[in-house]
Amino acid sequence: MGLLYALVAVGLAIIWGLMEMINFAHGEFMMLGMFGAWGLSAWLGWDPLITMVPLAVVMYGAGVLVYRVLMQKVQRGEMFTQIFATVGLFFFIQNGVVALFTSDYRFINASLLTRLSGVNLTVGGVRIGVPLLVGGLIALALFLILYLLIDRTDFGLALQATAEDRDAAMLVGIRPQRMYAVAWGLGTALVAIAGVILANFFSVYPQAGLSFTVLAYAIVALGGFGSILGTLMAALLVGVVQSVTAAYLPPAFKDAFVFASYILIGLFRPQGLFGRF
Amino acid sequence: MRILRVIVAVAVLFFVAVQLGPGARAAGPVSEVLIGELLPLTGNFASLGQQYLWAGQTVEDIVNNDYPDLKVPLGPGKGFPGLGGAKMTLVVRDDQSRGDQARTLAEQLITVNKVHWLNGEGTSGNTSIIQPLVESYGIPMTCHACASPTLTEKGFKWFYRTGPNDGTMVASVFQFLKEWPDHGGPKDLKTIALFTCDNLFCQDNRKIALDLSEKAGYKIVADLTTKTGATTLASEVQRLQSANPDVLFSVQYPAETTIFQADMKRANYMPKVLATSNGAYSDQTWLNAQKATNGAAAWLGRDPTAIDLASKKPSWKQVNEIYKKYSRGQDMGELAMREITGMLWMADTINRAKSVEPAALAKAANETDMKPDMMIIDYKGIKFDKNRQNELATGVVTQIGWDNDKHTIWPWDLAAQAGFKTMYPAPSWPERESHKK
Amino acid sequence: MLGALVALLYPIPFERSGQIYYETVGFLVLLNAMLGIGWNIIGGWAGQFDFGPSIFFAIGAYTAALLTINLGWNAWLALLGAMVVSAAICAAVTYPVTKLRGHYFAIATVAMWMIAQPIGATWPLINGSQGLFIPVATGGGFVHGVLTMEFPGRGKGLGFYYLSLALFTITLLAARAIERSKWGFYFRAVRDDQDGAEAIGIDSRLYKVIARCLMAVVFAAGGTLYGFWALAVFPDQVLEVNWNILPMMAAVVGGLGRLWGPVLGAVVLIPISQLMATTLGTGPLAGRGIDLIIYGAIIMVIAGWRPNGLLSLPWSEWAARLRGHASASGKA
Repeated sequence: MGLLYALVAVGLAIIWGLMEMINFAHGEFMMLGMFGAWGLSAWLGWDPLITMVPLAVVMYGAGVLVYRVLMQKVQRGEMFTQIFATVGLFFFIQNGVVALFTSDYRFINASLLTRLSGVNLTVGGVRIGVPLLVGGLIALALFLILYLLIDRTDFGLALQATAEDRDAAMLVGIRPQRMYAVAWGLGTALVAIAGVILANFFSVYPQAGLSFTVLAYAIVALGGFGSILGTLMAALLVGVVQSVTAAYLPPAFKDAFVFASYILIGLFRPQGLFGRF
Repeated sequence: MRILRVIVAVAVLFFVAVQLGPGARAAGPVSEVLIGELLPLTGNFASLGQQYLWAGQTVEDIVNNDYPDLKVPLGPGKGFPGLGGAKMTLVVRDDQSRGDQARTLAEQLITVNKVHWLNGEGTSGNTSIIQPLVESYGIPMTCHACASPTLTEKGFKWFYRTGPNDGTMVASVFQFLKEWPDHGGPKDLKTIALFTCDNLFCQDNRKIALDLSEKAGYKIVADLTTKTGATTLASEVQRLQSANPDVLFSVQYPAETTIFQADMKRANYMPKVLATSNGAYSDQTWLNAQKATNGAAAWLGRDPTAIDLASKKPSWKQVNEIYKKYSRGQDMGELAMREITGMLWMADTINRAKSVEPAALAKAANETDMKPDMMIIDYKGIKFDKNRQNELATGVVTQIGWDNDKHTIWPWDLAAQAGFKTMYPAPSWPERESHKK
Repeated sequence: MLGALVALLYPIPFERSGQIYYETVGFLVLLNAMLGIGWNIIGGWAGQFDFGPSIFFAIGAYTAALLTINLGWNAWLALLGAMVVSAAICAAVTYPVTKLRGHYFAIATVAMWMIAQPIGATWPLINGSQGLFIPVATGGGFVHGVLTMEFPGRGKGLGFYYLSLALFTITLLAARAIERSKWGFYFRAVRDDQDGAEAIGIDSRLYKVIARCLMAVVFAAGGTLYGFWALAVFPDQVLEVNWNILPMMAAVVGGLGRLWGPVLGAVVLIPISQLMATTLGTGPLAGRGIDLIIYGAIIMVIAGWRPNGLLSLPWSEWAARLRGHASASGKA
């Protein structure tokens, strides 16, 4: 489960962690991914594992679009206006989906992963569900690709440079607007992929986004800004804390403990576990 | 200050816009009876709100149009005969599943739209928020499907409920469990676990269940409360698995129930008896979605109605056809049935009162003595006790079979009519898989 | 002064036509404006983003409710009690967290909010998710109403409108005083350049705490007011995400850090959302969330068009031009 959280969070890690732009509607893009997967599965019978790719591309475009049309203008003003704008986006997207599809719960029934549901792998005494494992592996793979992209390529360096100092970056010929647009596109695409995978396990409905959004924010902050690896570690940690808490304490406090751990860790390491700034 | 002028300008503009808005209704003989419908049409409880809305639209249709051989109040004939043929109009408001919004909109419905009767909110928690308000304005108010007992126990004079409350309904489940051994059921159910969400409705249920469990001599091996909106319930399933109760009493809304089922499947966990109370069990959409996976087979729960028997009534079938016009083809579930029954009662009351004045409405309501043959649901009738709770609505216990339909299993006389053999123990997940083919 | 007059007289036409609802809208505007001003202290002036102020709203509402129900305190004393308790709790939890900067601090405030939710839902002292009910007072005239914050019957809309107007005005005046005081200066110093401020001896942690607790006091007062208005305190009501977002949005829309910003923001946002909910959220399109879609769209448009808030529009130029026109046509 932790790996799946990581996937949801990593999109945010780029938009927010790296580029410092707040997106209240992060979970909504995930939800769009879920709906996309469900829709294609229900109407065309395509398995989500396959639709993941075209959906990611579409959502990438959506992210870039949102950036160009909305966020670029908003960047001129206060940091807060970004939140405000994305709150508007949140209402807009969530209710747009309600208008088109109503608030009914929907389920994907006929995908590879759901058929595998109930199949378990026993590794060293711990039972792991195969579908979750597959989802987790995909998440891990994407993470690795992302990490390599950000840390090892020129392009990734350019992104980081823009994040650290926009003006200096411009001086060396990097176009910040383009960087931001790409960041948004990437972030949205990633979280949409997360949505596609999650749609195999969760019911698909318009309000699905918010609880994941809040968790994602906590994870990115816990991991530390600017560190992709940090986000991964944090996500895994969150998954563990959740399971442990639910196993021994009142389950209603599961998330509360996650957040309490955040505060505790924050007290000792104000930049998060691996943060750069 | 300049800025002050800006604010003033905005306020004035708003003020003007308001005056152009819905005006006060004229006094005198009414041609239109305004029924306020305050529902959660978006937000957390949206799928419930939708079913309420369809129910309301169905009743509006029945009252305003002529259905000569429909045996329900105001079926035949158009409009309210007692009011000279006045028609019924729903004034619908969406409160986004939020209590403060519900309260504000309730005030709007009463003071601006001047509705004659307020139906809502739809969930027990938000309904209790608007009760004091409506009480202070003195118009009748109803929430037929809100099951929390406290709603009728606080001494409000204007709140009526035709549906049963959880006090009686949960008791029926335990009654069933108690009598089951004498009717072919297992004799060795000793332990119970409670699994509830953290809001008003679930917690009320939990308190009743705790109390009844102790009285019935069950050993409570786990009592877990989960946060609404949880993203995973895997560890909770683990805990339940190790506690291994004979009976699992679960009260959760549809979204969490789905997550729970998925996590149960992965862990291959299924208790011998899975009993529940409303929440997902009442949600027709959830039920329909279970067909593909047999996820709901053998779930048993309290039910305000013996739906398998009621649906045999011709009036049920007729009303269902009307309902399907509005519900995108979905059949009436028990939620819609409770709501439609209650609203038809309301229409009947208004008709008997021959007026829309609150005092007349209250009098007609208090004198209600409706007989079961005029209802599509199988209450024994409608008659209110001193708390304005319908004392003739008792509820039954149903169980979902392999056919994904609900079958009455208690009380025993009705169960005999229904002719369904109770399933025990609840089938495991692999069994459910194989049963599909 | 014209504004004050409008504010005072606003409810009168509604009283006469019996459309009490609009008074309640006014109440909500004033309540949120007040909360917005409070939030502005930490968010706008001290520059620390607080995403979870609703915990103090809840603390205020619950404290006041408990004091009234269990100890029989008078409503106004309960209000003071709520404010004190809120400030105390705020100071205790905020100080350690001020070690965190910027976004990290913001997430910490969210964390506190998330932790408060299950506590609110399950803590027996406050009756968990079954809520606390403030007994309804019956009878009594207007003066009695003011004293107990309860206005039985139809006077409710009117009573709470003026009550909120009073509290709002007090908050506004207090905020104005703070803005011009040494504290205000320290807050802004911390916001603009925390390291620089510390270099000249300003204890940034202390002032962050003070700023946040001033906000906590305002929110507690708001929470108390809300509790008496609703006559019931439920955890999912008072900890609701909207109490986090709306005051913040009002401040941002109006202009962050400006004294009147949140007021303008509240006056704009709330009537819009109410209007949307009642016109578009009903009828055949009901349940499709159309009203919220448009609400969201409006928000995005405002954000994109005026990222610095509506107050940053050149009002003075416009007013001058209007006056110029008037005098020009007068002379001609």
